[in-house]
Amino acid sequence: MSQQAETVAAEPSNGQTESLSPLRLSLRALRRHRMAMHGFRILVVLYVFTIFADFFAPYHYDDQRRDHSYHPPLRPHFYDDEGNFSFRPFVYGSSYTFNEYYQRIYKQDPSKKYYLRFFARGHKYRLLGLIPTDVRLFGVDTPGRLYLLGADHVGRDVLSRLIYGSRVSMTVGLLGTSVSLIIGLLIGGISGYYGGTIDLLIQRLCELIMLIPGLYLLMILYSTLPPGLSSVQVYFGVVFILAFIGWAGLARVIRGMVLSIAKQDFVTAAVAAGLPSWRIIVRHVLPSTLSYAIVAASLSIPAYILGESALSLIGMGIQDPVPSWGNMLQKAVNISELAQHPWILWPGFFIFVAVMAFNFVGDGLRDAFDPGSVAGQQA
Amino acid sequence: MISYITRRILIALLMLLAASILGYGFMKLAPGDYFDRLKQDSRVSQEYIEKERVKYRLDSPVYVQYLAWLSRFVRGDFGYSFEYKRPVAQLIGDRLINTLILNIAAITLTWLVAIPLGIYAAVHQYRPSDKVLSSISFMGMSLPHFFLALLLLYLFSGELQWLPAGGLKSVDYDQLTVSGKLADLAAHLAIPVAVLVVGALAGLQRIMRGNMLDVLRQQYVTTARAKGLSEHRVIYKHALRNAVNPLITIFGYQFASLFSGAALLEIITSYPGLGFLLFNAVRSKDEFLVMGGFMMGALMLLIGNLLADVLLAVVDPRISYS
Amino acid sequence: MSTSEFTLSIFEGLTTVDAWTFERKPLLATAWEHDESGLVWTVKLREGVQWNDGKPFTADDVVFTYMDVIYNDDITTSMRDIITIEGKQWQVSKVDDFTVRFELPVKCAIFDLLIASDIVPKHKYQPMILAGTFDSAMGADSKPEDIVGTGPFMLASHETGQKVILRRNPRYWRRDAEGNRLPYLEEIIYVIVQDLNSEFLRFRNAETDAILRMRGEDFPILKPLEREGNFRIYQLGPRYGSQYVVFNVNPGASVDGKPYIAPYQRRWFSDVRFRQAVAHAIDRQTIIDSVMNGLGYPQYGPATSAMGYFYNPNIRTYDYNLDKARSLLRDMELIDRDDDGVLEDAEGHKVEFTLMTNAENNQRIAIAEIVRKDLEQLGMKANLRAIEFNALITRMDKTFDWEAILLGLTGGPEPHWGAHIWKSGGRMHVWYPYQKSPATPWEARIDEIFDQGFQELDRVKRKKLYDEWQAIIAEQQPYIYTAVNEHMVALRNKFGNVFPAPIGGVLHNAEEIFLLEP
Repeated sequence: MSQQAETVAAEPSNGQTESLSPLRLSLRALRRHRMAMHGFRILVVLYVFTIFADFFAPYHYDDQRRDHSYHPPLRPHFYDDEGNFSFRPFVYGSSYTFNEYYQRIYKQDPSKKYYLRFFARGHKYRLLGLIPTDVRLFGVDTPGRLYLLGADHVGRDVLSRLIYGSRVSMTVGLLGTSVSLIIGLLIGGISGYYGGTIDLLIQRLCELIMLIPGLYLLMILYSTLPPGLSSVQVYFGVVFILAFIGWAGLARVIRGMVLSIAKQDFVTAAVAAGLPSWRIIVRHVLPSTLSYAIVAASLSIPAYILGESALSLIGMGIQDPVPSWGNMLQKAVNISELAQHPWILWPGFFIFVAVMAFNFVGDGLRDAFDPGSVAGQQA
Repeated sequence: MISYITRRILIALLMLLAASILGYGFMKLAPGDYFDRLKQDSRVSQEYIEKERVKYRLDSPVYVQYLAWLSRFVRGDFGYSFEYKRPVAQLIGDRLINTLILNIAAITLTWLVAIPLGIYAAVHQYRPSDKVLSSISFMGMSLPHFFLALLLLYLFSGELQWLPAGGLKSVDYDQLTVSGKLADLAAHLAIPVAVLVVGALAGLQRIMRGNMLDVLRQQYVTTARAKGLSEHRVIYKHALRNAVNPLITIFGYQFASLFSGAALLEIITSYPGLGFLLFNAVRSKDEFLVMGGFMMGALMLLIGNLLADVLLAVVDPRISYS
Repeated sequence: MSTSEFTLSIFEGLTTVDAWTFERKPLLATAWEHDESGLVWTVKLREGVQWNDGKPFTADDVVFTYMDVIYNDDITTSMRDIITIEGKQWQVSKVDDFTVRFELPVKCAIFDLLIASDIVPKHKYQPMILAGTFDSAMGADSKPEDIVGTGPFMLASHETGQKVILRRNPRYWRRDAEGNRLPYLEEIIYVIVQDLNSEFLRFRNAETDAILRMRGEDFPILKPLEREGNFRIYQLGPRYGSQYVVFNVNPGASVDGKPYIAPYQRRWFSDVRFRQAVAHAIDRQTIIDSVMNGLGYPQYGPATSAMGYFYNPNIRTYDYNLDKARSLLRDMELIDRDDDGVLEDAEGHKVEFTLMTNAENNQRIAIAEIVRKDLEQLGMKANLRAIEFNALITRMDKTFDWEAILLGLTGGPEPHWGAHIWKSGGRMHVWYPYQKSPATPWEARIDEIFDQGFQELDRVKRKKLYDEWQAIIAEQQPYIYTAVNEHMVALRNKFGNVFPAPIGGVLHNAEEIFLLEP
């Protein structure tokens, strides 16, 4: 199954043969995989949102407007009540009352127009953590509000919170996978290389950890986190908890590959040359596994995203006011709230899109790096 | 082979023991115990709570409690649930049946749909239909369980009212005829099964497709075609059988999942299965129930792994165990 | 789910409580009175009552219930400790077949409430107690014929986790005005639902006939359907219980010398002005509108009108007023000295603390989120942490390492049930439990009130005591109350004689309910 990718000759159109390194070849194959490229583009967009969240989000994630509880999507108009066209779109002021059924009835006030502005001034922030500024991509004049996707129960803009939420959901996968990848590579490498009793023990340990049901372990580990942590610290706590569960599976996969690689000639040669074991493992064996490890890791990123979402959904992950797509869904679990305010389900859709994008990319990577597999050959 | 199996069983028993220690340790890691909840009932006196804790030995050191649990466990006494005040074995047994029904229905449906779809995709490789199927599979795989469950519940039970609101049986189940009962069960199972199937379909379908493609490129298939056999026969009589073989090992792994319940899914659809039972047990520190469920899950996983490896050997003559 | 939930209709006590006023009414007892000392009560029993297996009800059963069941060390019941005062038990003895004497060690104002506890038959359960099978017979595995009571219904069958079916007791003693035996209903089916979503959906899809605790957000969907779905929603006023913020003022330290709470924080929290400022800073209307969908009531003291007779409406309230709050804090020298939005004390400590709540309760988390933001407006930085319920209790009860908690309590109409909370030595005296002697004069006064209230047999005098208790708490704000939900019930219109009540709920008069003709 796992073979060392060798230099392969390719036929470019001018008839000359050209040698391409395995990496170049793989990247080429990846680029041809249409779905993977779609996924990749989606991820790029999401990560741009993540990095520049403050810029793209019209409002800060904790910007409440309590008189706009569960405001339905409030989008700009071009035509006002009397049919006059305005080049600059605007929103009306809006407020609600409860009717006799305790339904929120929002009435717009046509006398109050708030114009949409691009590069508007909003809540202050630091661009890339360094440059203080308050310019956001778009916004409306205060005290007007813009709710492109509606507002939550305390009048916070769902779109803004979705964008800020990507900071958690998109990074938890990368970070968590990196941590478990490092651990998995080391332990899997040692296990596969040395074989024998070490291998046996380590494999049993991996199996043991995989025996414990994930969700429960997550819950238990979360409750051991001390309470005085800041939200950033809680975030890292959650990442490490997730990685704690994830490394075992990766270690097993790595070990399998290392087992077969260790039998190959170049390893025997290295041993004969008297290189110390750790050097062989780290500098010779592991790099060969890297491509497959990356595939395995990228395919496991969705699990981290889903894990964090599930934890936050049951209240044991990222805490308010910091949004994550998981904790934004807490109210959506309530059917009555969902029926009356369906826009609170948007975070679920974003989770879906992000996971799907990662799945596509991971699948593409797998096909690209494993030329032995049939699916890697594109027409 | 027999000696291999015996060795594996022995190792599995050791693993179970180690797992029980690990699981028990983790469970005790979280602070507090079940009776802490009683403290919030202002009518209950401190003495009563202390008495209950001593009764269940919750005041002893952890290893003492573990050994007490272990000695009873190996004798088949899985203890009592604090919350439900019933024997753990019974509780798990009741809910297990529900979970089995759900999982068996889901797995059956998944296989019934995935295999033909996989074959179809392989035969029509790279054509638009393959790509569409591929995309749909990925979408299915990427949908979070809880999200899909909510969506379906909201649509079919909330808005359209075609399906019941959760649970396993209607209130008047007992008065229904046999066919009525079956229909009732089916209606209640619809949403949870749909969620599980959508998630599992993708993976299986793609594996089937991959296997089929591998087989279709083999020499003997080319030979069969050269011999003039109809494409239909080539695919269904020769290729298929070999493509399905590796899937049998997957079944071994799925064996373990038969007995596990997805907690969030069950909570949202109000399905009385194991997942929900154990989720609440972990939350409320209903110790014996947690351990009972955990050990059963671990046992099933180990059996499943063993089954998968054995089946692999049976099916693939290149692999042999000594 | 144990069968005790359903014993309401299966077993009866000597007395029962009125569903609206909470006054005690005769049930298996027809009269009860105490002597001059107040320590001896003589209770007259109803004649002609049968157990549901046909045997007659007599004083022997009452004596048996108290002396051999409740006071039995081997049987699981919390009632025992409730009626054991300072180690001394009641002496219950038979005077004649229909008269029982109760001898109490101290006077008990709620005697008539305590004897509302279920009575069980001697002939059926004494052999079980001797054989040791009593607990399991009454547990969740019980067989219908083992549940023998005098109530209007009997256990027909039950499926654990799914439903319980009660059927009519043909030997029930009560009759209606025309002499017909009650109950009218043949059967009551309790459907056990795992969560409130399901309860709501099932009712809406006409699978069940009642929702006993409706959520605020269900109202907008159900109310318009009243006509079409042929049901009615009853709004019964504030629910019992409360949701409050509490600050830790425990001066103690753990075994390694580390104080439970930083002394500078403790100084703030112990100052009543701090707590009152927080009380003024909480936007209760938003909590009601956003979390309870507008169907709730603000709360400032330990009781709501759900408490009925003992409710004191004339306590201090705290309007949503940030200016008032800030001026109180300024008096304490808590000012934002460096203009960063956070207050500092005279020594420069920023007013920052962790606010914990339990993760399992979504409503509580939502309230905590609002409170957090309110505190931020005031200039306090509260870091929200939702943790597991058990972990929370361990902190409150064992390790005491917490700063602020948002918690809830269920309540009831009898103030004494809160003794463990309000007395300074109580374990649920969350802000500083297990005190050896009261830490403040007002806590000492509350101890007195609860001791006296337990023994004060004059109802009016008793109310004065508890009125004072509520006033003190409202003034001192050891618990800073937020808001409480509206108690709502939805019931299909096919029943006659249903009178949903704040205390009794829907089924308090189960024996009188009947099915209307379609």
